[in-house]
Amino acid sequence: MSYRERAKSEIETAQPEAVLAPILRKLVEDSAEALAGMPPDAREAAARARAASVADLEGLHARLREAFERRGIHYHRAATASEAVGIVQHLLRRARRVAKSKSMVAEEIGLTRALRQRGIDVLETDIGEYIVDLEGRGPSHITAPALHLNRTRIRELLARAGHDATDDDPQRLSRLVRDTVARFFEECDAAITGANAVIASSGRVVIVENEGNVALGVSHPQLHIVVTGLEKVVPDEAAALAVLQVLAPSATAQPLTAFTHFVADPLPGQQRHVVFVDNGRSAIAADPRYRDLLRCIRCGACMNACPVYRVAGGLSYGSVYMGPVGAVLSPLLWRDGRYADLPFASSLCGRCSEVCPVGIPLHRMLLELRADAAQAEHTPAVERLAWRAWAAAFGRGRGRTAIAAGRWLWRAARLLRRPRPGDPRTLPPLGPIHTPASLAPAGPAGEPPPPPPPLRRPEPLLVTFRERAATLGAEVTDAYTPEPGDRTVEAAAAVAATGSVLLTAEAADRRGLLRADRVVVLVDADRVVPYPADLEPFLGDGEALILTGASRTADIEKQIVRGIHGSERLTIVLRGAG
Amino acid sequence: MARVALFVPCYVSLARPADAAAARTVLERLGDEVTTLAGLCCGQPAFNAGARREARQVAAEAVRSVRGFDAVVIPSGSCAAMAAHEWRTLFPNSPVAGERASRVREFTAYVAAHPNAERLSFRLRGVVAYHDSCHARRELGLTETVLGLLARVEGLEVRRLRYEAECCGFGGTFCVKLPEVAAALASAKAADAAASGARVLVSTDLSCLLHVESAARGLGMELEGWTVAELLARSLS
Repeated sequence: MSYRERAKSEIETAQPEAVLAPILRKLVEDSAEALAGMPPDAREAAARARAASVADLEGLHARLREAFERRGIHYHRAATASEAVGIVQHLLRRARRVAKSKSMVAEEIGLTRALRQRGIDVLETDIGEYIVDLEGRGPSHITAPALHLNRTRIRELLARAGHDATDDDPQRLSRLVRDTVARFFEECDAAITGANAVIASSGRVVIVENEGNVALGVSHPQLHIVVTGLEKVVPDEAAALAVLQVLAPSATAQPLTAFTHFVADPLPGQQRHVVFVDNGRSAIAADPRYRDLLRCIRCGACMNACPVYRVAGGLSYGSVYMGPVGAVLSPLLWRDGRYADLPFASSLCGRCSEVCPVGIPLHRMLLELRADAAQAEHTPAVERLAWRAWAAAFGRGRGRTAIAAGRWLWRAARLLRRPRPGDPRTLPPLGPIHTPASLAPAGPAGEPPPPPPPLRRPEPLLVTFRERAATLGAEVTDAYTPEPGDRTVEAAAAVAATGSVLLTAEAADRRGLLRADRVVVLVDADRVVPYPADLEPFLGDGEALILTGASRTADIEKQIVRGIHGSERLTIVLRGAG
Repeated sequence: MARVALFVPCYVSLARPADAAAARTVLERLGDEVTTLAGLCCGQPAFNAGARREARQVAAEAVRSVRGFDAVVIPSGSCAAMAAHEWRTLFPNSPVAGERASRVREFTAYVAAHPNAERLSFRLRGVVAYHDSCHARRELGLTETVLGLLARVEGLEVRRLRYEAECCGFGGTFCVKLPEVAAALASAKAADAAASGARVLVSTDLSCLLHVESAARGLGMELEGWTVAELLARSLS
């Protein structure tokens, strides 16, 4: 099936625009505002960090292998999808039940299906992934897999799978899935996660998430496997923080996700493996026209802003990578021509390139890929013939004749054409028919576009910190009364712009934190820094965990539900705030 | 007195040649010596479709034809962006193409920056909504320039669309090859225009306007697309 056939069928049957337009329009505006809360050079810094990765992938991997060796993390590298699947299958040879969290690379290599075919019981533990797994059509968005489904449809899917889904309240539906996932984690043999960055200098794996299922995964007592792309390696902690500063704002308009993990040494008794998947990435890195695509941090900002995605949805792309980045990446990863028409699924409006936080010129790459497709004769023969005729006219001084012919065709089309269902467009008549009478308005002015978000005025750090943390549902106090069930930890630092606290070493014991009825974090006021990038000196060399509000999900109609794996109660005690 | 070429986009010659005459009127009132070049194409349709060889043939003819002018004025953000940026892409080793591309100006930008611009006065009573063409906005960065020029028209109220940054779905051959997607986008833009309360939509780009108009027409909405050139020519006093 072609993109056009899939898009037509989606538009006719599912009307994705009705669900997506309000969500995406709000998200794009909120994302711009979230980014405005970061340092003014946040995007440039992130672009530089990612460009540094892409410029020296092999050098960074060499350093990373040494760092992994020091930590006792196993390094794997797979040239192809099937090799990657083979490595994971081998690692899971003694496992029967596996908890998997969200990973686009795992989707790319078809990991879940391959493992199930081997008889392994794989559970998608991200709420959105769990839902689209039930539906069986795959994710429709890179960070919000179930974006195309409304709550009613989700309730139906859960009920059909045997859940006691009596109403379609997002909170109840989210917690139904949460309970299933939590039970599964108690008895599974291994966990698979993705990664957002892997730090070459220190060998730490950075993973962001909101629900807490990744926290459970990385702390699996026996076996934790990371499946990620070759390009995710970054030079150092500063580069990882630069990426984090733009990732969540661009993806979901959050300052940071609820959990930002810096995963270090394997736990006692645990094995940790990282599988780097090439699957065509080295070839992309070798082509100067497309190399910068490997900067991509999979935030999904390009699809949030894309008009084509908004009206035709993510499933129309027919690829695990959708939206503008999917239209570029898919034909480069699968070079057999099956996605050769995706680069044409764009009006070339350029909004994807404009919002990309790491500066990938996506619409320029779409143009290059179109030229590749034409060169390889993946475009229709009749179209190629038409371009030749067009060039014969306008390239040899016969443009006026062609235009005169065009005017006759236009008139004929106006006479013959009847509006078709799904396409109301009707050619206007040739020539102006305007009179100043049309300048009288039909009604009062509607709402104007919102002004660009103002750069946030620097306020005293503690004021900003209190305000941000409270927005995320955390309680910020100067004193607290201990309660039974509290887990009280000391923060290494805190971040004003995001309302986050940084926990390191023993304080970052993830399962301990998730078990608590309430997490109490003690923060010294003089350890509050302005931005995530300022955390670098506080990160230590071991486990680190940045908490930004309580565990949460927005996988059902983008409604925020707090308290998924882990308590919804987070109390931050600011000491010495005077 | 500057010698300028008024490069008429092929689709303007096709659908609304009077817009080219309107642009010419404004340029002449600025005191320029204007040569109208019609029957040409900047090469964009084929370029955007990936047909690079054909795009080169057509763009080469255009490059040859714009010889010897102080400025090449194109009343279209889309064609102006193509000529200003992509002629260099198509002819990377040609200093001539590069030099001629550097003389290309979008009509509105040219008028706004003209030394005699302040001498012209524009007057037209009424209300219009502004459609920001993607290429004028993102490739050329003209949003404020166009709005600034429209603000000089006495008696004219210019309304902004709520979703101004969104594409109308024209995209050249895109609107033919993916009709369902393009129609949905044009319909959304027509609805946004209707919400502005204006019955006239003004843009640098006739292509966008025709596309939005075609959806509005099919949906039974009252909407006219006026180019900036038409609006300015009508408001010259």
